Amino acid sequence: MTEFLQQVIIGLRIGSVYALIALGYTMVYGIIRLINFAHGEFIMVGGYTLFFMIPVLMGFGLPAWTSVFAAIIICAAVGVLAELLAYRPVRKKGNRMTALITAIGVSLILQNLAQAIPFIGPNPKAITQDIFQSGRIDLFGVNTNWTSIFTIIIAAFVMVGLQLFIHKTKIGRAMRAVSENKAASTLMGINVNRTIVITFIIGAGLAAVGALMYCAQYRAVMTTMGSMLGLKAFVAAVLGGIGLIPGAMLGGMLIGLIEALVTAYISSSLANALVFVVLILVLLVKPAGIMGRNVGEKV
Amino acid sequence: MKIKRLVSILLTVMMLTMGISFASAEGALEGQTILIGNIAPMTGVIANYGTAVDNGIRLAASEINASGGILGGTVVISTKDNQFTPAEAINGFNALLSEGAVAIIGAIASSVTSAITGPANDEGIVLITATSTADSITTEDDYVFRACFKDSFQGRMCASYAASQGWTKAAILYAKGDAYSSGLRDSFVAAAPDYGIEVVEEQSTSDTMAVDFSSQLATIAASGAEVLFAPYYYDTVGPKIIPQAREAGYLGAIIGADGFDGTQDVAVGDLTAYENVYFTNHYSPEDPSEVVQNFIAAYTEAYGAESLNALAALAYDAMYMVAQAIETAGSLDHDAIRDAMAGMHYVGVTGDMTLDETGTPDKSVAILTFVEEDGKLVQKFVTSQH
Repeated sequence: MTEFLQQVIIGLRIGSVYALIALGYTMVYGIIRLINFAHGEFIMVGGYTLFFMIPVLMGFGLPAWTSVFAAIIICAAVGVLAELLAYRPVRKKGNRMTALITAIGVSLILQNLAQAIPFIGPNPKAITQDIFQSGRIDLFGVNTNWTSIFTIIIAAFVMVGLQLFIHKTKIGRAMRAVSENKAASTLMGINVNRTIVITFIIGAGLAAVGALMYCAQYRAVMTTMGSMLGLKAFVAAVLGGIGLIPGAMLGGMLIGLIEALVTAYISSSLANALVFVVLILVLLVKPAGIMGRNVGEKV
Repeated sequence: MKIKRLVSILLTVMMLTMGISFASAEGALEGQTILIGNIAPMTGVIANYGTAVDNGIRLAASEINASGGILGGTVVISTKDNQFTPAEAINGFNALLSEGAVAIIGAIASSVTSAITGPANDEGIVLITATSTADSITTEDDYVFRACFKDSFQGRMCASYAASQGWTKAAILYAKGDAYSSGLRDSFVAAAPDYGIEVVEEQSTSDTMAVDFSSQLATIAASGAEVLFAPYYYDTVGPKIIPQAREAGYLGAIIGADGFDGTQDVAVGDLTAYENVYFTNHYSPEDPSEVVQNFIAAYTEAYGAESLNALAALAYDAMYMVAQAIETAGSLDHDAIRDAMAGMHYVGVTGDMTLDETGTPDKSVAILTFVEEDGKLVQKFVTSQH
């Protein structure tokens, strides 16, 4: 039983990271119907910001995790730049397919740009400092580590905060309105372009928080770190129902739990494959995802 | 008198002809360029290895050229980056063929090297890998050799060391899809009964790129194993497997093979986590023998101490083995070099070795561990096992 609980905590920890990143995919998709393939690269940008900022901030006597604020700012800036320089001009001229190709392009540009910058380069860099308190803890007889506890708690806080933001604030209401109907929102006096930029800022900021958790657990950054993580988070978003914020959270947690439990009890090398099997099965039964409603596409 | 004179004349003639033949042999490749190819991961996750190997080869080549080259010919090295992928290794191999390489050193990882062993045989060019330890690398092909020992030997030595420490319950964590990792796992499992070791838990990942091992390690921690055999590369071992194992509550010994070399440079967090970790390697820099110390001094002077590891030493030996084979062959003919290579005896930095019929040397292994010194993790020589 304790071993099972230990695996559940591991699953929730992995799932928290997926969920935070899936939120970024789902929010951008919800508002402009674009699968932002560059989202994985936002995590990488966040990771490298952490790598460079942790020694600086620790030099000022601040705890390592405070560097996440720098990462949020840099990620948000990169997200806004991607929207202003690539997505918006293409959205004006082209269709959804061109926007999708642009997203893949932005992803490749960011990844290769990072590899080309000499002080980043193609080789992985180790984060030697402890981001959260190091070591293990005994939680009611279940053996786990502080990083897992912090990851799960922070993710929970961020998700509750996001839910409140979306439902209780004016900007949140604007975001929901734009995702429902862009033209009508404009008529109601909502600045659609500004709302989209804010969505990118929030999505990229969540990626930065995800990067903090990734770095705390895996202690290394590399230019390709966002690829697999981004793919899994995308799967999580689709599983939960893309465009739906609670769906992304549920999808992320489910994928994390499936991964951990399959690894522990079925076969450790089948974990990745079974995640996709579950995705296919769910989509066969509910094509719009677990929480998605089947609505006809607006033409 | 007559006989004495005859003998002396005969001796003189013999010495003269020997001198002439020496002179002609010395000049056999006079003024020629001897292009040696190197295929290594110069970028990517195991770029540390690529750099070390390239440095080792270039150091040996510059020493050979400084002392007159091979039979008068100048050694030139051409390095191709394989980015740790089989496809790029094949591209590099083809590029080297068209450049006119006479022998090729490479690649580093067994999974990448295995992509070019077949082509080397088809093209009839000597391929010597400095570091690929998978058993299958040299068994199929006549033109493929290596400077390192093979996995079944390393896996066996790991089991032997574990038994010598009194650890009888072993757990295994390995990458199923990686030739190096699964090869080592197979040989450890095969050798375990011979040393009275019981494998109590076996966990795996699909490849060596995995980042999260916590589920597997939690299961291993609960299995009561006294030693964990985890054949991965340093980029995974250092920042991921060892800290995650300790956090999962596994506090026993962790043992691995030469892929652990370099872990000290990527260690993270609390360094006490790296205590009780052992690995087999090709040589120890603490070996007081002259050839080892000379190599270390020359390497450090040329490239600094940071990138110096066993792979650099093996690559250095591989370059000298190629040079010795060309010298024996007396020409740049690919088949003559292959024949000279087969069964060769060579004494180098990584030991006294004789190539067996498959092209793999018989040599000893060093057991090393990590200790913390002045806040940094360093390697320490434990013992030598044969």
